[in-house]
Amino acid sequence: MPSNIPTTFIQWISFLVDKYGQLFLRGTGVTLLVALTGTVLGFILGLLVAIVRTIPLPRGKWYRQLPMRLVYLLLNVYIEVFRGTPMIVQSMVIYYGSMMVGIIKRGTPVLPAAILIVSINTGAYMAEIVRGGIISVDKGQKEATTAIGMTHWQSMVHVVLPQAVRNIMPSIGNEFVVNIKDSSVLNVISLNELYFTGKSAAGNYGRYFESFAIIACIYLVLTFTVTRLLRLLERKMDGSKNYTIYGSQSDSQSEITIPAEEA
Amino acid sequence: MGEILQINHLEKSFGDHAVLRDINFSVQQGDVICIIGSSGSGKSTLLRCINFLEQPTGGQILYHGKDAATAWKRTLYNSKVGMVFQSFNLFGNLSVLENCVLGQMQVLKARRPEAEQRALEYLEKVGMAAYRQARPAQLSGGQKQRVAIARALCMEPEVLLFDEPTSALDPEMVGEVLSVMQRLAAAGMTMLIVTHEMSFARDVASRVLFMDGGVIVEDAPPAQLFSAPQQPRTQEFLKRVLERQL
Repeated sequence: MPSNIPTTFIQWISFLVDKYGQLFLRGTGVTLLVALTGTVLGFILGLLVAIVRTIPLPRGKWYRQLPMRLVYLLLNVYIEVFRGTPMIVQSMVIYYGSMMVGIIKRGTPVLPAAILIVSINTGAYMAEIVRGGIISVDKGQKEATTAIGMTHWQSMVHVVLPQAVRNIMPSIGNEFVVNIKDSSVLNVISLNELYFTGKSAAGNYGRYFESFAIIACIYLVLTFTVTRLLRLLERKMDGSKNYTIYGSQSDSQSEITIPAEEA
Repeated sequence: MGEILQINHLEKSFGDHAVLRDINFSVQQGDVICIIGSSGSGKSTLLRCINFLEQPTGGQILYHGKDAATAWKRTLYNSKVGMVFQSFNLFGNLSVLENCVLGQMQVLKARRPEAEQRALEYLEKVGMAAYRQARPAQLSGGQKQRVAIARALCMEPEVLLFDEPTSALDPEMVGEVLSVMQRLAAAGMTMLIVTHEMSFARDVASRVLFMDGGVIVEDAPPAQLFSAPQQPRTQEFLKRVLERQL
């Protein structure tokens, strides 16, 4: 009915929110889901790649180093390819490629494929970020673990990686924010994420400006909130600024005894 | 008095640059050996070779008569030959207590209650038990170094290597660390100490090694080395250093 058709910007906004609010919310949910799982899985992937790349080459003849060198090469190719091509192209190649070779069938849900694409793409960036984080940890930390007899693996798990991960938290946050925004390219494989829902809503009435103004606001709220939450998490990781000094008989002049040598 | 370490013809070079050439000496149980010499003489490299933070390029290190490089499991050897660093190297992500617990649980496979008990015992002895909850970043240099000593002691090592333990400290904190080391020495701990603290070497060491140009120039008890050095190079070094320090 003509009388129901909005005329001003404000009226259009409220009309679209009223009519497509549910749709936008679902799109927001999908965007968050893909960005969050993609970032977490990508982080785990990047962590593994970075750890493998920091394993020192075995000593000795070239053929003993060959397997490790091959692994390095493969990981380098992975990083170069996925950092060097746009995610929108990767999603087309992976989605339609796996359909062609029959890994997925036409009509299967697109969500798992979307999460996979974002994870692999994020993993390539994360690998470099984590490597930077490991390098940023003072060499003395590793030496101190070696000096008390810890292995490379124990040292990584208990001392180096916790500090490396803390140092790269801002970059991990960056990746999360990038993923929230860039998951929009997955509309090309018809993932019903936020941008895709905006496009559907806009198309029905031809109101592109109003629809995408709403979508932009939602993206902004998402990224802003996530950034603040990550700040909080960082502060939590740093632990308390205060510590208790235990009342004790602690005395720097106390006597030192060395336990007798076991025979 | 058993022999713990025997260093035979130890060599280390970085590329063409020979840092250590033909180092020979032995460490008996209860020895407190101070290694002195000017910067670049190879003192720190010697210490770092002894626990394989640097790979020696020649010679042998015998631990209880057996080649440390091949006959001993590296992690076991390293837990028995402890190290205290110039820059402390406390684990930045862990509390004071956890710094002392980690090695015991990972390397010695101790269980948590025992590990914590032993950690507190040694922290008490260096006067840092009250700070068990603090993080390394919240401590002063002297406090950090005392925790680092407790961390090394928790592994119940046979020998402790000290790599310039007071060189990164403010002057007023040097004393608290040296006093802990002095009490360790009095308690019979076997120690190898690279230091620039000549008065400490004179008062506490049982032997002093003077190094120059990658070799041990002189190896003597402190009374002899400081009052009647035999080698011209030792005499010259001591003259330069003692003028400033004593």
